[in-house]
Amino acid sequence: MSCTVEDELTAYVDGELSAVEAARVRTHLTSCAPCRATEAVLRRTVTELAALPAFEPSPGLRRRVLAQVESLPRPWTERFRRWLRPAVLAPAGVALATAVVVAVVVGQRLVVQRAERGMELAVAEHYELLSDYEVVGVSRDDLDVVEHLDELQKEGRP
Amino acid sequence: MERVAAGDTAAFTALYDRHHRSVARFAHRFVQDAGKAEELTQDIFVKLYRHAGRYRATARFKTFLFRVAANHCLNEVRKGEYRVTHVPEHGEEGRPVEMPAPEAHAPDRAVEGRELEATVAGALQRLSERERTAFALCRFEGMSYRDIAEVLSASEAAVKSLIHRATLSVARAVEAWQAGAGSPARSEA
Repeated sequence: MSCTVEDELTAYVDGELSAVEAARVRTHLTSCAPCRATEAVLRRTVTELAALPAFEPSPGLRRRVLAQVESLPRPWTERFRRWLRPAVLAPAGVALATAVVVAVVVGQRLVVQRAERGMELAVAEHYELLSDYEVVGVSRDDLDVVEHLDELQKEGRP
Repeated sequence: MERVAAGDTAAFTALYDRHHRSVARFAHRFVQDAGKAEELTQDIFVKLYRHAGRYRATARFKTFLFRVAANHCLNEVRKGEYRVTHVPEHGEEGRPVEMPAPEAHAPDRAVEGRELEATVAGALQRLSERERTAFALCRFEGMSYRDIAEVLSASEAAVKSLIHRATLSVARAVEAWQAGAGSPARSEA
């Protein structure tokens, strides 16, 4: 067969040609008996193929596929998501909160202790000076005396 | 597919239930053997699960699925892992392929159907791998030429040519069988 449209016949039968191409083939078929015969054979075959029974896989295939997939290592996203489940997340959250509270309390104590130790060291360092003014272990009034010592001396008070 | 890529096996199961028949049917048309077709189908779905992250929503899922399926079948057959089973022509001994049981009230039609199936299977066996792939996707999965072109990474013109040659070849074989001419002739197209 040497017709130029012969190669288009299957696509024509399948409705895969553009409107212009299909019209050209349609026109050709009116005047070409061999192409008409081929088109008829193609159409009949396509119809018969559509009626053939389809292969049906066995139910065991599903079980085998799913078992194999289950045995594969999980992707990292899935492993990460498992860590975010409430059953894992709730105890972890409680543990974390407890750890934070303990850290804050212990930290505060350390800071206070360090500050007190710093104060003690400062007092120890200036012990002689402070003891001259009798401010070590004395009240606020005594500190006022130290602060206004010059003025009090001018006034003749001890 | 995004859920499958994240390891959601329930999503994968739904995907399998929806598409496994098409894939198995395609693989069966490819190797003409029920056991081999199931092995190929299993491999294809496991591959799909393992490489789900490569799927991009821009591609139609069925196209993506059959691209995986076609490449796997072509590669396995080329590697020699699977040989296309010889399908006895009608008149030879043995039942060529396992198909659903024929209807009891129409034995003649059932025999005729089996013979037609054998004739088609024999014709498919004589096609090139790409012709067989394009033909199976078009005739049995109802895919458009454009989608088949995407599956095969080919132009639509090339697919048109593959499908035409394959269909004409199968049509001639069926025509010869119907005419009682014995062994079907290969298309000269």
